[in-house]
Amino acid sequence: MATANYENKVVLVTGAAQGMGKVIAETFAARGATVVVNDRTDSVALRELAGTIGGHTAVADVSNRDEVIKMFKEIEGSVGSVDVLISNHAYMSMGAFVGYDHEDWWKVVNTNLSGTFWLIQSALDGMRKKKAGRIVVICSGWGVIGWPEATAYSASKAGLISLVKTLGRELGPENIVVNGIAPGVVDTPQLQVDADAAKVSLAQIHSLYAEDIPLGRIGLPIEIAHTAALLADFRIRSLVGQIVQVNGAEIRGRV
Amino acid sequence: MTRTNHQDNSAKNVGIVTGAASGIGAAIATELRSRGWLIAGFDLSPATSDFDVIVDMSDMASVLAGVAKVVDALGPINAVVSAAGYYEMFPIASIYKEQWDRMLAVHLGGAFNLAQAVIPEMIVRREGSFIGITSELAMGGGGEDVHYASAKGAIIGFIRSLAVELAPHRVRVNGVAPGPTDTPLLTADSPWRAPQYLATLPSRSLAKPEDIALVVAHLIEEATFTTGEIISPNSGAVI
Repeated sequence: MATANYENKVVLVTGAAQGMGKVIAETFAARGATVVVNDRTDSVALRELAGTIGGHTAVADVSNRDEVIKMFKEIEGSVGSVDVLISNHAYMSMGAFVGYDHEDWWKVVNTNLSGTFWLIQSALDGMRKKKAGRIVVICSGWGVIGWPEATAYSASKAGLISLVKTLGRELGPENIVVNGIAPGVVDTPQLQVDADAAKVSLAQIHSLYAEDIPLGRIGLPIEIAHTAALLADFRIRSLVGQIVQVNGAEIRGRV
Repeated sequence: MTRTNHQDNSAKNVGIVTGAASGIGAAIATELRSRGWLIAGFDLSPATSDFDVIVDMSDMASVLAGVAKVVDALGPINAVVSAAGYYEMFPIASIYKEQWDRMLAVHLGGAFNLAQAVIPEMIVRREGSFIGITSELAMGGGGEDVHYASAKGAIIGFIRSLAVELAPHRVRVNGVAPGPTDTPLLTADSPWRAPQYLATLPSRSLAKPEDIALVVAHLIEEATFTTGEIISPNSGAVI
């Protein structure tokens, strides 16, 4: 049940042009937030999303620290400082460990892990002035358990999990609350990457994944978005430094 | 208290909250009722729910009778929350068999009895949500908490296994593992209320019963791909 508990809050969602980020942005807007949608490049999709939800766009490559700093200045100048950061953006490529392209390794790490690091650093000024903030990092089940031929991605996501735990401890006393979500397989355009790597069709990868999930299906972006809205809830301070696994009871996804 | 007009409420979701008379259970009942649920409150003393039933959760016959009354009065049950419990601290040598048995009977037995009473019908309808309240102490452990942490730890295994078993039937099973929470279970002189302890918590404060209730309501109403999971509003006591 959507409740309007984000009125007067500025929510920044990264990687919001498509997939999970788009639905997360829509979910926070439906709950009353002023939503700023970020992506790496300007696009019709990003502008249309902002238009539909009455939000704003903020284009920046989050792996570039200077661009992140500039983006936060622009947001603060237009709609005010960010109350809620949803670090959702991700880059992934798959490939065998031996021979994995070293530039791709750094692109994955710089985007997923360092990008979130720069975002949180930049978000802190405004949150500290308001003595409150909520940060939700979209991690991954593969960051919990690892996954063959996804070394860079899994390592970057495991890094994010540790970042969440550490900042949960470091920032919790200031009422700046950091938590993470480790989704299992979710229906997003990212699945095409997995399908291509496995040399199967998109429909085939859907059913291949569903076979391993006790609930018998893959997840939907809205099912991640609702959990993000719980973790960012300003009424709750005791939920801190946690990683919530949303995976349809995929037991091999647990530790 | 008891519903008088069945027709008016026939479209509402029906839930059972155990331990509904106070603390976390009472907060959960209040939150779900505010969202339009019809809540039956099970406890050893009357709660303030839509339909109070005096039930001893450690007694299977009592639980079965209570559930039958709810189904009869309110209709099929959409969700149950096993929150009944109590807390006490003793060093290992001072835990007598009666104390050990009672701790397991109320917490683990309570969850088991409730599940056995409501799950078969949920399987038939291919819809339902079971929430077990466990504890941060089940994960982190605590001195003089052996019997309490054992009972709460067993609930985690119970939840994870039942989730896998029921997933094909579209019945979800999840848990919430609160840290020390500001309820009557924590006495005024409880070590968990001491300023020196609170200063060690990342959130610097006890969890509120309302926090737990919001997590429970999320798991029941929104978290349709979440099953077999334990969410920990524990003030950062265990990260």
